[in-house]
Amino acid sequence: MKKKVFALLVSLLAVGSMAFAQGSQEAASKKEDNSPITIEFWTHEDANRQALEDRYIKEFQETHPNVTVNVTRQSAEKLIELVGTAFAAGQGPTMFNLSINDERPLIDNELVAPMDYAAAGYKDAKDVVDKYAAGSIDPVMKDGEVYGLPLELTQWAIFLNKKVFRDAGLDPEKDYPKTWEDMVEVSKKIVKRDGDVLTRRGYDFRYKYYLENNIPMVEQLGGALVSEDGKEAVVGKDAWIKFFQFMKDWGPNGQNLGSPTYTAARKLFNKDNGDIAMCSTGLYQEARILHDNPDFYNSGEWMVVPYPKFKDAVKYVPSNYYGHYYMVNASADERTRKAAWELIGYMLSHGDEYLDKVGLVQPSKALFESETFKKAPYSDVFQSQLEQGHIVYYGANSTAIQSALDTAVKSVMLQGVSPEDAYKQLKQTVQELIDEQ
Amino acid sequence: MSKTKHYSIERKQARWGFLFTVPCLLFFAIFSFYPIINAFFTSLTNRDVLKKSWKFIGFENYAYLFFPDKYGTNGGFTLWNSLRASLTFTMGTFIPMVVISLILAVLLSQLRSTRQKGFFQISYYMPAVLSSVVAASIWMILFDPRGLVNQLSNWMMHTEGRDFQWLTDNTMLQVSTMIVYFWKYIGYFVILFITGLASIPPTIYEAAIVDGSTRWHTFWKITLPLLKPTIVLVSIMAMLQCLKTFSTQYMFVQNGAARQPIDVITMNIYFTGIRMRKIGRASAMSIVLFVIMLLLTYVQFALSKTDEVDY
Repeated sequence: MKKKVFALLVSLLAVGSMAFAQGSQEAASKKEDNSPITIEFWTHEDANRQALEDRYIKEFQETHPNVTVNVTRQSAEKLIELVGTAFAAGQGPTMFNLSINDERPLIDNELVAPMDYAAAGYKDAKDVVDKYAAGSIDPVMKDGEVYGLPLELTQWAIFLNKKVFRDAGLDPEKDYPKTWEDMVEVSKKIVKRDGDVLTRRGYDFRYKYYLENNIPMVEQLGGALVSEDGKEAVVGKDAWIKFFQFMKDWGPNGQNLGSPTYTAARKLFNKDNGDIAMCSTGLYQEARILHDNPDFYNSGEWMVVPYPKFKDAVKYVPSNYYGHYYMVNASADERTRKAAWELIGYMLSHGDEYLDKVGLVQPSKALFESETFKKAPYSDVFQSQLEQGHIVYYGANSTAIQSALDTAVKSVMLQGVSPEDAYKQLKQTVQELIDEQ
Repeated sequence: MSKTKHYSIERKQARWGFLFTVPCLLFFAIFSFYPIINAFFTSLTNRDVLKKSWKFIGFENYAYLFFPDKYGTNGGFTLWNSLRASLTFTMGTFIPMVVISLILAVLLSQLRSTRQKGFFQISYYMPAVLSSVVAASIWMILFDPRGLVNQLSNWMMHTEGRDFQWLTDNTMLQVSTMIVYFWKYIGYFVILFITGLASIPPTIYEAAIVDGSTRWHTFWKITLPLLKPTIVLVSIMAMLQCLKTFSTQYMFVQNGAARQPIDVITMNIYFTGIRMRKIGRASAMSIVLFVIMLLLTYVQFALSKTDEVDY
């Protein structure tokens, strides 16, 4: 009997100890779950977006008291360098966004983590793809996994100042440029000069962004940056030469309608000071006009028209759209990655507000069907262009290719290089870059 | 019986001297020698900034840089073009900078009023404390076709509305970067020359005056020879600084200027290493720049090697 009682006592003690140990472990693991997490979040400057995201982060931290989010904002240009060098040093932010052509090499080199679908509010990769517009997740997919969620998918159209048009004796509703040839003629009428110096421009290009704004011009003429199999660079000699001739004629040594060294047209547009009539920009410009110059925004003296095409275009290609995707650093620990995807999911669940307050289009199907999108001024122009356009080239050497295009265009516009020579040089350079990839 | 070592005072001093230089040597070893060795090692690899694996490729990067027709043009921006751009910039900037800063220093040292002297010294030196990025941004506005420089050029040339293409024409663009750099650093070298001038004993000048020497004669026969060590120092510093120029050209390119005419080596290193991510190739470029700087410094020292100046 004594033995039985002893055995029972030992068993009870053992069970009790086990239960206690388990409880302690649970408590410990619970404690561990609540240990602090720090998310380093790097993003580009945008006053409208900053206000919104600061609020989302605050709300997120209230529901996740153990998470601290440190936000670093830099100019878009600077951010490319910072993120690149940080990753090169084996560090980098926990989460960040860049344009897709700067982000894709990070995916290819396994420096960013695949999505934590559950944390971001999705079932799996298919669920993500299904909830976004066709093709918009393709650039961030690799081996069936999704590596980023789109903060914005941006395409440019032509913003037009009606007052400047009328001042030049033009009717903005009828005379807006439908073709690139119209663009030249309209600009000739609008342009004002003090001798050779332009004091008012009709339109000017966004120099630096050739992949977005100029490659479609070449494609309209039947050319391409890279062949469909990705092996041949700068395809379609005639199209390229015609494009270079157009840019040469546009520049200071041609018809002197614009130049890369004047203040960027997009920066001047919001001022409504009569210096520029048209510029290429995205839907986000609307929120920026409202922010910078509410009187101009409310005056109804601006409108948005589609990206033009050449008269003898073989097809219509609007400006190429580009995406900024939120991504998470693969070197962050699992809990931090999970928290980062949770934060991304939370921020991006406010697509309507991003559009309404910042003018950013997150290409979710829900947003395109929403009233907010339909109500945004000229959203129909952008939607129509999105349906007809394609994403910007985002190969591993896309930044170097952008530089090569910059050199080629500026060589014909500013340095007197012939379109034929510019074409030859560009073809050789881009071919070399593609072969290196 | 224990032996006590006896050292001479000189040896003791040398020991202390060495001890004091250790931190400096360590600093240089970590922040200068190690990066140079590391850059040389990296230049022998095909390292990509974002790739985890790399291969040892010997001197392939150097062959690539020196034979663009055979291997490739580095995205259209060859090392040869960068060497041309760097040397043009250096010759066009450092020679006028040394000459004019010397003239200004002599003129300033002639001023009797300490207040005036101080005012001019601060005025000349002020741009040097300004960040290069800010300086370049200010000058970008001034060089704009509607900016002050173009208006002044029209006024001086008696023309109206002519665009002098300060930022678009190849030659003018190079001249523009030289002007910015010259404006920014002239004050720094003026101060160095003023220090050099102050170290020449006034008794020598007094003796010259007693002997009836004119100011012109005094400058050529006394000031200039006695200032030689400072001139050598300033010219080497100015030359090295010009060869390392980066931010002016970078800011100009960021603001729309063409890259090719002003693609100095440092900028090419940056674009190749950071933007194109070819850090092996960029390291090879930086080693080439290092060797050029070393050679030019040696040549300058050799050419100016004379007896030490004794007052």
